[in-house]
Amino acid sequence: MSNSVISVISRFLEEYTTTTPNKLKVVDAYLLYILLTGALQFLYCLLVGTFPFNSFLSGFISCVGSFILAVCLRIQINPQNKGEFLSISPERAFADFLFAHTVLHLVVMNFIG
Amino acid sequence: MDRSKLFGVFLLSLALAGAQALTPAHYLSLSDVARLQNLLSQQFTDLESAYYSVVGLTKLGAAVPDHKEVCQFLKSQLDPTSVDSLFFAAETSQAISGCEIPVSNETRDILLAAVSEDSTMAQIHRAVSALSSLGLPITSQEVVGALLARINKEDNVMAITLALQTASRLSQQAELGGILEEIEDLTARLDDLGGMYLQFEEGLEATAMFVTAAYSLSDHVDMEPPLKEEQVIQLVNSIFSKKSWDSLGEAFSVASAAAALSSNRFHVPVVVSAQGPATVSHSLPTLQLLVTDVMSQPLASANVLVESAYAVASKSIILSQAPFTLNDGVFELNFMSSQPASGYYQFTVAVTGDSRLVANHVELKVKVSTEVAVTNMDLSVVDKDQSIGTKTTRVDFPSKAKTAFTADSHINFAMSFQLVDINTGVELTPHQTFVRLHNQKTGQEVVFVAEPDNKNLYKFELDTTERKSEFDSISGTYSLYLIVGDATLENPILWNVADVVLKFVDEEAPATIQPKTLYVPKPEIQHLFRTPEKKPPTVVSNTFTALILSPFLLLLILWFKLGANMSNFSFSPSTILFHAGHAAMLGLMYVYWTHLNMFQTLKYLAIIGSVTFLAGNRMLAQKAVKRIAAEQSSRLAKYRSLR
Repeated sequence: MSNSVISVISRFLEEYTTTTPNKLKVVDAYLLYILLTGALQFLYCLLVGTFPFNSFLSGFISCVGSFILAVCLRIQINPQNKGEFLSISPERAFADFLFAHTVLHLVVMNFIG
Repeated sequence: MDRSKLFGVFLLSLALAGAQALTPAHYLSLSDVARLQNLLSQQFTDLESAYYSVVGLTKLGAAVPDHKEVCQFLKSQLDPTSVDSLFFAAETSQAISGCEIPVSNETRDILLAAVSEDSTMAQIHRAVSALSSLGLPITSQEVVGALLARINKEDNVMAITLALQTASRLSQQAELGGILEEIEDLTARLDDLGGMYLQFEEGLEATAMFVTAAYSLSDHVDMEPPLKEEQVIQLVNSIFSKKSWDSLGEAFSVASAAAALSSNRFHVPVVVSAQGPATVSHSLPTLQLLVTDVMSQPLASANVLVESAYAVASKSIILSQAPFTLNDGVFELNFMSSQPASGYYQFTVAVTGDSRLVANHVELKVKVSTEVAVTNMDLSVVDKDQSIGTKTTRVDFPSKAKTAFTADSHINFAMSFQLVDINTGVELTPHQTFVRLHNQKTGQEVVFVAEPDNKNLYKFELDTTERKSEFDSISGTYSLYLIVGDATLENPILWNVADVVLKFVDEEAPATIQPKTLYVPKPEIQHLFRTPEKKPPTVVSNTFTALILSPFLLLLILWFKLGANMSNFSFSPSTILFHAGHAAMLGLMYVYWTHLNMFQTLKYLAIIGSVTFLAGNRMLAQKAVKRIAAEQSSRLAKYRSLR
């Protein structure tokens, strides 16, 4: 049972490293970073307490929001998805990504106290 | 058929509404009249004050002292060339006897010349009045013409009032209809204050002079003025509500109005008041009423009768159509002869005998008081277990029971009595029937209410176990008092009936009861500022800050390993501008967190953002062009290699 899980994972990693273009790997690294940051913030909240709650919320939502936007960017610039995003060039996707981030950070900064 | 029924009901309701008539709330009492006379009797220094004083006193029916001296004064102060001077002198001389103001042809000419459209209304009024008082002929029709012309030009209340007054001095044959109509117009200009008062906004003097002038003219032409009963009473309220007068002119106007309202041919408001409190009892069986006009002069020819009198509590009618008898200026009625029970009675009194009387239906509340007696006062000790028989002691008012009674955990103390009317023997239920127990040693007192049962027998029972809390379980000897009181009782009762020894179980050491300190300064409240929430130790937060920043390091390492680089960085102006703008936006975010508010941030963001957007758009477009070119060339190479 565990054998098959390990073999699935190793197969997945192998395919990932070979078939994924570099650009996407860069974005994936960024996604991992955001994930870790969010997880650590949540851990702090669990261990130490929710004071100040608004700061925790704003930090956590910043991570969650950034993660989602990065995922959207990754989907849109993936050449394999080109068929579904004919009208959106990778540059356009990046521009949208930046604009959405501006709005997200405005909200986060407002709430961080 | 239905329509006429409805109309009938409507009329009936109107009539019933009218039955709730307004009666004068203010009038000149005898002391007010005396005060007015005092003010008018002051020494006068010029013709105008002489006029107000003398004519005012005459209107109040008071005697003017020293007619000869007044006449001398008038003659010495007279200026025969001034219309005003002639007016004051002439009018005053008419009020006192034996005073003739000398008249010359010039005087007459001056006065006649003043009667024209070009003089003010006041001038015309004074000229015509002077001419009339001096016995000189007046051409009434000319005056009427001048008055009507002036009314059009001077459309204010005082002017029209003077016109009315002037018209009353003219011949009855003249065409006074046009001026008479002004009474109605002026009435419409009066301000209604809460349905109680009717007055001009120009003030008391204007209102009082209007009333005088309106009745003066109405009497002259013998036509009832278009004032409704309610309006007359409202005017009475306005004019006589002020009891001290600022000026001689104001006092004069009030005196004139009082005279007009008590002796005109159409409306005489009636003032009905009880002499002393409106109370009757066995010792004072007659109800005495004073029926006067607004100047507190008794109405000679009045007939006063009670239309109906009913008890307020039971609404049963006691009297109907009972006449009052006039006794030395006061109207009396022996109400006790109808043997009313004690309580309050609503009387409707009607004053008749003169068709001019206004507000002659008055509602009066009369109290019938009586004396109470406590009978059958039985004090008893009742055994709770019913093992020993009840011992009852009768006590007679006002003596005290000889022995003290005891009440403890198995003996209750009980009291029963009856309250009767001394004169009729009827049982009474006064408002206040209290039983007061007063501890002689500690000063504590406890009050209970004695309740009557359905046979009007009052009962009070004291159970020591039930009433422990009221007494704070303090045993001892208590004096028992009975308190009886009511508004309709003439002899309230405070009777020390007996002494009661109360024994409570679970007694604490009797502490002297301190009177409740209600009015001493209370302890100061110290404000507790909100304690800030507990923060985690600095070590923990620092550790976690470092921990949070560590994934960034990981990111940089990963990117380096992946080979992300900046080799394609083109130094075109749009690129530099874009990156600079983006960095500026991030900096703005930090500044927003530390210094700015949302509005300022949005303002700066709009500026920086638009710059960044334009630059970025340019930069990305260039990148796109490059990418497409690269793609095309790679496709071309692939195509060529395939071939």
